[in-house]
Amino acid sequence: MYWSELAWLIPILPLVAFVVVGFLGNKVFKRAERGGYFAILMAAAACFLSLMVAFEILSGGYPGTFKQSMNWMSVPGFTFNMGIYIDSLTALMLIVVSFVATLVVIYSVGYMHEDGDKRRRYYAIISLFIGVMLGLVLASNYLEMFIFWELVGLCSYLLIGFYNTRPSAASAAKKAFLVTRIGDIMFMLGLFIFFVGFQGNLDFDYIFNNIGAFTGGNDLLTLGTFFIFGGAIGKSAQFPLHDWLPDAMEGPTTVSALIHAATMVKAGVYLVARSYPVMVHTPDTMLVVAIIGGFTAIFAATMALNNPNIKRVLAYSTISQLGYMFLALGTGGYLLSLDVANSGYTAGMFHLMNHAFFKALLFLSAGSVIHAVHTEDMRLMGGLGKKLKLTSWVMLFGCLSIAGFPLLSGFFSKDEILGVVFEAGAHNPVFYLLYAFGLVTAFLTAFYMFRLWFMTFTGEPRDHHAYEHAHESPRVMTGPLAILGFLALFSGLIGIGLGFENIIVPTEVGNIVFENVLPVDTLIETFTNGLTYLSIAAGLGGIYVAYLYYKKKSLNPDVFVATPARKKVYDILLARYGFTAGYDWIGLKVVYGVAKVVNWFDQKVIDGIVNGIATVTVKTGNFLRKGQTGFVQSYAALVVAGVSIIVILLFLIGGVI
Amino acid sequence: MIAIEYFIGLSAILFVIGAVGVLTKRNAIVVLMCIEMMLNAANINFVTFSAFSGNLNGMVFAIISIAIAAAEVAVGLAIVLNLYKTRDTIGLDEVNLLRW
Repeated sequence: MYWSELAWLIPILPLVAFVVVGFLGNKVFKRAERGGYFAILMAAAACFLSLMVAFEILSGGYPGTFKQSMNWMSVPGFTFNMGIYIDSLTALMLIVVSFVATLVVIYSVGYMHEDGDKRRRYYAIISLFIGVMLGLVLASNYLEMFIFWELVGLCSYLLIGFYNTRPSAASAAKKAFLVTRIGDIMFMLGLFIFFVGFQGNLDFDYIFNNIGAFTGGNDLLTLGTFFIFGGAIGKSAQFPLHDWLPDAMEGPTTVSALIHAATMVKAGVYLVARSYPVMVHTPDTMLVVAIIGGFTAIFAATMALNNPNIKRVLAYSTISQLGYMFLALGTGGYLLSLDVANSGYTAGMFHLMNHAFFKALLFLSAGSVIHAVHTEDMRLMGGLGKKLKLTSWVMLFGCLSIAGFPLLSGFFSKDEILGVVFEAGAHNPVFYLLYAFGLVTAFLTAFYMFRLWFMTFTGEPRDHHAYEHAHESPRVMTGPLAILGFLALFSGLIGIGLGFENIIVPTEVGNIVFENVLPVDTLIETFTNGLTYLSIAAGLGGIYVAYLYYKKKSLNPDVFVATPARKKVYDILLARYGFTAGYDWIGLKVVYGVAKVVNWFDQKVIDGIVNGIATVTVKTGNFLRKGQTGFVQSYAALVVAGVSIIVILLFLIGGVI
Repeated sequence: MIAIEYFIGLSAILFVIGAVGVLTKRNAIVVLMCIEMMLNAANINFVTFSAFSGNLNGMVFAIISIAIAAAEVAVGLAIVLNLYKTRDTIGLDEVNLLRW
């Protein structure tokens, strides 16, 4: 008996919590937080099962890929299976999603304790969120994945708009839903192409092993994978569909942590990684993935530089780090399509795992700060390190990790990504540019993260009222922080120590052989490579510059707005390069204009036809009813006339005589 | 034996008289009587063809038709009676409520 055979329970357990808390919450749980305990129980159970399944798959306890499916629907030319597909990638995602999600739900009990009965809704939806994300990860074919994909979008909509009485939250939720919808439609187009090309079979198992069966040629396949990546752009908030993620900060901080670390945005990365066996056959798509990823990384990092909102800075950093992941996946896939063995895929997924831990940590720490001072504006914080000792320490770990401080988790994965990109430069010079992007991003990341940390925890309190009332969070919140803090520090070393690079390698991508690497060799290779010191320098340089500006204050941040030209750049960054305004313009002018035309067409033409038919009928009826005189004899006369005419006609035409 | 044309001619004459009466008379009783006349014209036809072809089905039909006619007259007269009670008239030209 294998644990994997119980894998179908993993998404079911949180869904049970959703049903019980959501629909029976008022009856079963007298106090709202007890619903939370049930949600924790179910999430923890799912987490336990996930860890067991993942261990079994990753350690080779179950030989190969675990596949299980049942027939859901069958029509000629198309069979739809619901099933489970667990390989090393799925196992990794299971660990990340279920573990981080469980910690977030535990943390929620403390963070949400002021929200009263609304918490039932919160715990119900968050359970649904976890359940459908686990379902997405486990899905065994594209259509099943798409179903869960849409449900994840729905959950994010519900949770971002959790404070539904606040107009900004409501519109942020709508924006998240609509913007990701553009990506979803592209995903769907990709599925259509796959559906036609692969003769109606969307099972991973079939597609990955029968790439040659694709009818329609490589151009169509490239278009298909490009559209699939389009879905990932929307979900993972990549340029140009990135704008919903900063607004999504309107939800509770725990939700942001969940969206950024474990669910939602990671779904896009997972989709690309999952589609690797197909995508490596389309180098053009892979190049697009790498370019979009690299550009998004630096693009989002610049916007994080001057934002005063603690959560928004973290949101931009998520976009930027996701850019790194796509850069790694795209580069790795591009090289694989040239039959060059490389570690792009491994580095991308390694970064995904590390990012999950340190980003969850950063968000939950930020939540702890917000919980203490009841504001998200860093200009009103400062000096909180004295009051929030544990929070400030674990957040420092998170910042160091994301900044790429040597030997911490973010360092290894980021360094590996940059290494792969540089390596790819030998095959296509555009990767040298992307490498430069990545390096600058590393510097910017270190700078803005430490700007955040110094502004929040050091210096003099800028708002004394908030400072006086600040207090460390309860244990139910600091507990998860401590665990995540540990992981943020050491998940990199642990991963390398456990042989991450030998386990998480792309499967079913042709004849490329990946050499087994000893953990020690990885370390030696990392520290004998000159590029490593370049990225270390970028990270430490960023930290030092932030130190000069925001801690030592030997440089004054006001120089950034000293001249009108600089002020203008500053304002453009704050206005997100005008993307928000651009979306509004498109929404207001273009879409509204089209809507008006369509409305006119609907009211005048469509309704005109329908109403016209009705009017003609009424007019005709009005005319004909005059024949209804009410005199019985006129009816009789008509009958006689009719019969006479029939008889006459019979004589004339029928030839009766 | 009398030729069949005479019977059919009688039937036709009766039928036309009845039809004209139905269309022109204003008194509901007279109209009922005219309807009876048309029915009887048809009965004569039944009986005539039955006798001339030696097939008794026509006779049977005539008897059924007479029975139905009796029932119909009962209903018709009841309607006329009620009409007189409520509207104080049996003139068909004054009874035109069921119209546009």
